[in-house]
This record gives sequence, C-alpha cells and structure tokens, in this order.
Amino acid sequence: MRTLRTMLLALGGAAVLIAAPVSRADAQGQTIKIGVLYDHTGPFSAAGSLNCWRGAKMIIDYVNERGGVLGKYKIVQVDGDSQSKAEVAINEAERLLNVEKVDILAGVYSSAHAVPLAEKVDKQKRFLWITTAISSKVFDGRNLQYTFRPQPTGTQFGELSVEYVADYSQDRFKKAPKDLRLAIIYEDGAYGTDVALGNELKAKELGLNVVLKEGYSINAPDLSSLVTKLRAARPDVLYHTGYNPDISLFLRQAKEQGLRLRAYIGHGAGHSQLDKLKEAFGKDVEFFHTLDPIASQLLDPKKLKPGVGDLTAEMVKRYKTQYDANAPTAAIAPHVSMGFNNLYVLLSDVLPRAIQKHGGFGPDALAAAARETDIPDGGTMQGYGVKFYPPGHRFAGQNQRAFPAVFQIIEGKFELVYPKTVATAQPVLPLPASSPFALR
Amino acid sequence: MIEPIFLLEAAVNGILLSGVLALLALGLNLIFGVVDIVWIAYVDLVMVCMYLVYFLVMVYGWPLWLAGLGSLALGALLGLGVHLLIITPILGSAPVNQLLATGGLLFFLQSFATFLWTTDHKTVRLALPILEVGGMFLSFVRLIAFVISLLAMLGLWVFLRRTYIGTAIRAVSQDREAMALMGANPQYVYLVTSAIGGAMAGLAGALLVIQYSVHPFFGAAFGPLTFMICVLGGLGNMVGAFVAAVVMSEIISIGGVVISTEMGYVIAFVVFIVMMFVRPGGLLVRRG
Repeated sequence: MRTLRTMLLALGGAAVLIAAPVSRADAQGQTIKIGVLYDHTGPFSAAGSLNCWRGAKMIIDYVNERGGVLGKYKIVQVDGDSQSKAEVAINEAERLLNVEKVDILAGVYSSAHAVPLAEKVDKQKRFLWITTAISSKVFDGRNLQYTFRPQPTGTQFGELSVEYVADYSQDRFKKAPKDLRLAIIYEDGAYGTDVALGNELKAKELGLNVVLKEGYSINAPDLSSLVTKLRAARPDVLYHTGYNPDISLFLRQAKEQGLRLRAYIGHGAGHSQLDKLKEAFGKDVEFFHTLDPIASQLLDPKKLKPGVGDLTAEMVKRYKTQYDANAPTAAIAPHVSMGFNNLYVLLSDVLPRAIQKHGGFGPDALAAAARETDIPDGGTMQGYGVKFYPPGHRFAGQNQRAFPAVFQIIEGKFELVYPKTVATAQPVLPLPASSPFALR
Repeated sequence: MIEPIFLLEAAVNGILLSGVLALLALGLNLIFGVVDIVWIAYVDLVMVCMYLVYFLVMVYGWPLWLAGLGSLALGALLGLGVHLLIITPILGSAPVNQLLATGGLLFFLQSFATFLWTTDHKTVRLALPILEVGGMFLSFVRLIAFVISLLAMLGLWVFLRRTYIGTAIRAVSQDREAMALMGANPQYVYLVTSAIGGAMAGLAGALLVIQYSVHPFFGAAFGPLTFMICVLGGLGNMVGAFVAAVVMSEIISIGGVVISTEMGYVIAFVVFIVMMFVRPGGLLVRRG
C-alpha cells in the first residue's frame, strides 16, 4: 500500500512538472532560456532566415553584455534548425520546448512552418514569439492565447502593393486604375497564398483588373509555362511572392522568354535579399520593388523615439563586424532588422513587465505582459508601434500597429518609395527602357 | 482560350526541358542497368559538379567549356569514388540497405556542401542572346543544353555499341552471373560504368549551372522527377528514359499553359502513377 502511494505521489509529481513547467526565475534564478528557431539549412536559409537568426543573436548578445533582462536575467540562447521543412520545424519546436525546456520559443521564418506550429505550441500553453513569418492564417480566427507577432501580416503586404500601383496609376502609367492589367503569381505555400489574397482583394476593392492569378511550387524545376502564360495575359504590373531559388528561376526564364512589363513588384523574402539578386542578375533587377517592414537603417532616426536610432547603429556595427564587413549599410537585408528589432521588443518590453508585474516568465505571465504592450508608432527600430489584438479578436496576438512599406531598387540600393508619408525617394515608374523587362 | 502560338511555344519548351531531364536520367539508368543499385544521391553529385563549374568560371575565370570538361572529370572521379567506397562493400546486401547507404550519401553531400559553401545560391551569369522565332521566345541556354544532351546520348549509344568495353557493359546489364561464369571481371565493368555515369553527372552539372542557381539542396527540385523518369522509362532502359523525359516534360509544359503550372505537375504525377499500374516495367517494355 505504501509502495503504491509512493508511486502515485511520484507520478503525480511528474505530471505536475510536465503540465506546468515552472519558470526558471523561480527554479534557478538568473537565466532565461530562449529557443531560437530559424532555418539554417535548406532554401529558406539564404532567402532571409539566416539573416533573421543573425539579428536575433546580435540582440541577445547585446542584452547579455548589459547584464541581461533588467540587468540581471541572462539569456541562454538555444538554437533550432527547421531545415526549411515544416515537419522538422515542428520536431525542433518540440525538442526546444520539451527536451531543452526553453522558457520562450522565438523566431520562425516561414509561414508554412508558423501556421501549424502556432496552434501546436499554443495548445501546450507555451509562449511563442514570431519574428518573421507573415501569413494571416497564423492567427485568423484561432484566438491563440500564448502566441504573439510584432510583424505585419501577408495580407497587409498584398494590399499595400496594390494601393501603391493604384495611387500612381494615372500619374505614372497614364491609365485609370481600372484599365491597368495586373498579374499575380505566388509560391503556393501559406506565405505566397496569403500575400496573393491581399493583392486580389485590394484589386477587387479598388476596381483593378486582375488578368492572371496563379501559384506554383517552390521546388518546380521549370517555370517556362508560367512565363508563356504571363506573356499571353499581357499584364502591365506583375505581383510576385516567392522565396529563392524559385525567384531566380522565374526571372531567368522570364528574361529569356521575353516577358515585358511596366512594373515588377516582389513581396519580401527572396525579393528583399538585394545582394543575392544583384549577384545573380546584376543591373537587370534595377527598378524592381519589394515590400517588407522597413529595414531599420533606412529610417531617419530623428523621426523615431529617442534612443531607437542608437540601437540601429549598434545593429549595423555588429552586422558588419560579425558577418559582412563590406556590406553597404543600405543593402543590409530587412530580415536582420526583423530578428533584431522584434526580439528586442520581447526582451526590453514584454519580459521586464512579466517579471516585475506578473511574477516571472512563465507562459501566463509573458502572455499577460504581452497583452499590455503599448508602444506608440515610431517606438521601435522599424518605425511601427506594438499593440496586440486582444483575446476574442479575429487576429488575437497579431500586432495591430505593424505596417510594411514599398521599396524600389534605384541605383543599386533599396529606396523607400511608399507610403508617401514615410517615403524618402520618388518611385521610378514605369520600368524605364534600360530595363530588359521594360515594355517597349 | 490561349492562342496557338503560345501552345506551340510551350510544346517546344517542353522538348528543350526533356533534354536536361533525359541527360540526368541517362547516367542514373546506365548505372542501375549494370550495377543494379539505384544511386539516390545521383542528383547531389550533379550539384557538386555545378559548384565546381561555378567556382572555376566565376572565381578563377576559366572559360565555360574548360570548366565543363573539369566538371566531367570530377563527375567521373566522384563516380569511381562512390563505387569503390560505398557501393562495393554493399554489393551483395539487401536492396533496402543499398538504398539506405546511397541515401546516407545524399545527406552527407548536402550537409558537406552547406558546411563548405553555405546555403547561399550561386549563379553563373552569362550574357546570352534571346532567341525569337516566329513570335515564339525560346531559351538559348536550354537549346545549347538540349543539343549537347542529344550529342552525349548519341555518344554513349555509340560507345556501348561499338567498343569492346561497351559490349561488356551491355553484357553485364543483360546477365551479370553469366558474365562472371565466362571469366570476365565484373568489378572492372562496374568501375567503368560508374565513371561514365559520374561523367554524365558532370556534364549535366555543367549544363544545369548555366540555367539554374546552385545551392546545397538543388537535388530536391530534380531528384524526384529524375527518378520518376527512370522508373517510367523502365529502370535500366536508356531509350525508355528518353521517351519518358519527353512525355513528362510535355505534360508539365503544355499542362502548365493550358490549365495551370501546379496542375501541369499534378497531371504528370498522376500519369506516372497510372502508368505504374498499366505498365509497371516501363513505357517501352512489352507486356506478357
């Protein structure tokens, strides 16, 4: 009987330990373990995921060098490699959460990973902080309680790029918006589908004419039929959402097959890796567009909260010291900022409040602290503010103040061209004759 | 309704794509036909050769044709190395063990390439003319690749038919036990076959790197399709592989234009599955 009671007690104890992981503040004191999940291998790595990790690592180092969160809680970074595969991302998340026993899971580059991952992690009542993946499906109607994302949504990307073209239609294309012919192509995962939906819905709302909308697999070895179809549809503006190497394959085949356009608009990921695009295509990508949250170094620090600009300078300095001494400052990919800035919001705003006000850094304390986050516009390195939609909202956990912006490659650099309120350069529209893709 | 000129363009592009796919399937099929082991990592050997061409051309400034010859030599060496180090010890093992061993090589090559060259995509930039014929745009690079692929296939056919070692290779592929009983040395035949199969990978690498960016996971795009073509054509059947490459490429290309890019691939895969039921031995195998 006594043995049975001992066994029951031991089992009960184990169950409590498994079901309610105690935050390390209570158990050990001075360290916070953060699982940092990105793709170190596979195609997503070079399409921005590795740059996100670099940003995340640099900000964790920065905070630790200053004594840690609140000057005394050091961050222990435990890396996971999603290998650009959703099933590996889920397994790695399990390992980080339940073997490494991290307090927080952060990162996630691909929407195809984030959509299944968010639900699984949330069901375990563990805290997930998404820095990069943009699909609206991560939150849409799910009422997640422990998942938060400072990053804007894919639908916002798709909508803004259509607004941009509609806004300049008459002035630059000499056509009424309804007379413009738009084509939308996208990788058929969660990311591409979401952005393309944003394109389509906004085009419908503004009365623009979508002549072709088509998805493709990022592993397709040939996209020549898509190019042929695009030529047959004769679009003025091409909206493209993809990673890499699918973008490279498409652009090569588009050039060889004589695709001609008035404007080419990409949406983040591979389209924002300027150094890779230039390496592969040289000046052919001049005047192409991309959308992303603003790379911090492109913003005027005077327009941001005092001190935010210093952080950006720190990020640029560290990036050049640790990863690419020759990188032109303007060419540092926005993904570095996403990792750096979005994790900084967690480390500088959410975590201190969770510890000081909610008694630690367990999932409930962190979620409560995140719901109280209220950073006004201009309060982060990427210009946006942070306030998460509350529980019960269709997008509960999504930052309602985040916004992307439109960039254009002008003279080999990304220039911020839209929205007009934050633009630092005038867009070049339509594609000038010097572009091999320009409609003649 | 799509205009006929675009359909014709899709059909021609399908033919050009089939040249590349047939070349990939050719080396793999040759090795399988003789050694009777499927090199799962075959397309990853192609990837290594692509890296060689990239570095020779872009970093060391070699002319492309010379880098292509280097790629051929590296492919042959890799073929020999794979046979001696991985295949020879497992020649008599169960097929599943052989599959696992070459599968292990695949992961090794991917990880090794990531370690050495990172996950960055590397591109050989060539300024080639755009080919416009009667309102159709054709890829000049693909046309070159297609012609070289055809010549390589023809060369291989002549080699197998007109040389002593070629005859020995065909003999082993038809009845390996009988060859051994007649006192021939199958190991020598295996080595020559692996070197030729590897050289084919080198040639494919040189032709692919001028069309695609190379990265450690390049095999993910072409590996499955290459195996499907080999199986559809009949494993070990080189003419069958060529026919299968044309069939699959045309379905992908024309299906992509008539319906959608995604559906082009879906239809190709459905055709493959159906054919596995109807002609499990391959397209050109006589029934009964």
